[in-house]
Amino acid sequence: MSKQIKKILIANRGEIAVRVIRACDDLGLTSVAVFSDCDRAAYHVRLAHEAVYVGPSPSSESYLVHDNIIKAAKETGADAVHPGYGFLAENAEFAQRCADEGIIFIGPRPKTIRALGDKLEAREMALKAGLPVVPGTDTPTDDVATAKKFASEIGYPVLVKAAAGGGGKGMRVVESEDAFEESLATASREAQSAFGDGRVFLEKYLVQPRHIEIQILCDEQGNCIYLGERECSIQRRHQKVIEESPSPVVTEALRRQMGEAAIGIARESGYVGAGTVEFLVDQDLSFYFLEVNTRLQVEHPVTEMVTGIDLVKEQIAVAEGRPLRLTQDDVHMNGHAIECRIYAEDPEAGFMPSTGQLKNYRIPAGPGVRVDSGVVIFSEVPIYYDPMIDKLIVWGQDRSEALARARRALEEYRLSGVKSTISFHRTVLQNERFIRGDISTRFLEEEYPDNNYGSYDDQLMESAAIAAAVEKLLTERKISLVNSGPSSSRSGWVGYYRGKGLRRFGGSR
Amino acid sequence: MPRYTVTVDDREYDITLDYFSDRLDAVVNGEKRRVVVHKLQDTRSLILIDNRALEVDVRTNGVETGSGERIVFMRGREIPVTVEDYSLARMRKTAGMSLQAKAEKAFTAPMPGLVVEVRVEPGQTVRKGDPLVVIEAMKMENVLKAKSAETIKAVPVTGGQSVEKGDTLVEFE
Repeated sequence: MSKQIKKILIANRGEIAVRVIRACDDLGLTSVAVFSDCDRAAYHVRLAHEAVYVGPSPSSESYLVHDNIIKAAKETGADAVHPGYGFLAENAEFAQRCADEGIIFIGPRPKTIRALGDKLEAREMALKAGLPVVPGTDTPTDDVATAKKFASEIGYPVLVKAAAGGGGKGMRVVESEDAFEESLATASREAQSAFGDGRVFLEKYLVQPRHIEIQILCDEQGNCIYLGERECSIQRRHQKVIEESPSPVVTEALRRQMGEAAIGIARESGYVGAGTVEFLVDQDLSFYFLEVNTRLQVEHPVTEMVTGIDLVKEQIAVAEGRPLRLTQDDVHMNGHAIECRIYAEDPEAGFMPSTGQLKNYRIPAGPGVRVDSGVVIFSEVPIYYDPMIDKLIVWGQDRSEALARARRALEEYRLSGVKSTISFHRTVLQNERFIRGDISTRFLEEEYPDNNYGSYDDQLMESAAIAAAVEKLLTERKISLVNSGPSSSRSGWVGYYRGKGLRRFGGSR
Repeated sequence: MPRYTVTVDDREYDITLDYFSDRLDAVVNGEKRRVVVHKLQDTRSLILIDNRALEVDVRTNGVETGSGERIVFMRGREIPVTVEDYSLARMRKTAGMSLQAKAEKAFTAPMPGLVVEVRVEPGQTVRKGDPLVVIEAMKMENVLKAKSAETIKAVPVTGGQSVEKGDTLVEFE
């Protein structure tokens, strides 16, 4: 079954909406943006061909309302809906609704989303496909006694995960038995508030694992390829902040093993479209299946940079029912790519979101630099959504060139008005362990236990002090420096105080 | 000549500024620096310190200007600083007040959100890093921690209450 897509409604906001709009433009398709109250003038709305209002600012009243999105698609005559990531991207019910309404959902089939979204079912599929899994509970629970008993059986540390969770929400690591009950309660409460389901899973927590994932691409005809791995071990609160491809530890042989494992579960689940199979990789390089994300990932650009493949374009082609244009032999990894997620957050305050207006915003450019941004200068970072501002993606011929370009690009940013994670990235990219590629998902808590990412050098501190003193002087005394004319050896204060003295005696202004 | 005490982290800079038609001559902790300032827009300038070029944005970030707190955005970093007139800073120090004591009589909400849990009560003493209040914002629970050792005077919020940015959560003695 093949149907040409002419118009795509993007059921998302921010940088990912912009990313999909760009793919539409590249393909000559018409894009339709949707927006909430606070996003009326957002960047994604400015770039789209058409835009439809879908409700008040809270996402539960706009971007998440199935009826509103479907209505917008019908009103604009969109053939397809691209959900981006987050929001409705992994919502099987919404995908089904699209199908029922005759709209193409750009993503896997509803039943695949449902099955893989259920951690238990996904685990069973993985086992069936012969993938190794981490020891853990088979059924979700909200019973403290049972959970505690199981935890002591598999041994601490234990990971408590929301049954319906994702993106780090409703996840807690419990180091010892004393902290168990409180952590379980917090995870359960977070899960209840975020997903309406307070049940949790327990799982053995690997001490220093890496998070490495495989990008897959499958068509309706049953062809399936993997596009290499992404190393996503640098995480805070179980959310990725720096990703790279290739991983510093993945060899050609391991890549093939993990890639084939990923294709195994893709086939088992009848996967169609772009997806990501996540693994935990232990220090001895044995890998364990974690979960499948049935959507385009935030970090998809690093794969695009090293493979040269436009994942959104491929998603659209597959959604039209076309067979993959590429075979596994066509996939080659070239060079090294790193992504830094720039969030409006205060790293020193435990990555507390920082909302407000971007008073200044200029993004880096130059060789090997790509910035996927959802904002422009004077954009507001609203409180209602994920506080990501943009993603800096750099490419280099090898890891060290990519690192150098990333450091250069971070320094080129001019961003003020909100706190951001730019300085955090600069610090991490200079960390010796990071440079060696000696990382794990615990890297940040091990290296920066007090969230102290400051480490300004002496010169920088002094320069900041001078800049602040100069600003105070110029604003309080209303001095305007002309910066022209011949160099003078005469202090400006002579004239300044003379003028002041004259004014005091009622002299000329 | 204007003289300022600027605090960055826990380091203090004694800065005197003399201005000329084309530059400022700064003396920073006894060392001379030649500063050229080009205003770009609003709070942004390009400054050359001994020919070292820096694009800076010095902002108050919503804090009242009188407190002297500024954030200097430069080289991809945000550096919090406090600028005081030298004489006022000296008086403050003579009175035995630290900058912290002056600034932190209360703990305010750094963002709008929902108070999930209050972890302290009046009369209690806390150490730096002790949890004060748990706030849910952007679907995440954020544990707000004491920035210094304090004694709790009052807690004007309760669990379940929503707060705006800047609302007082905890008052200190």
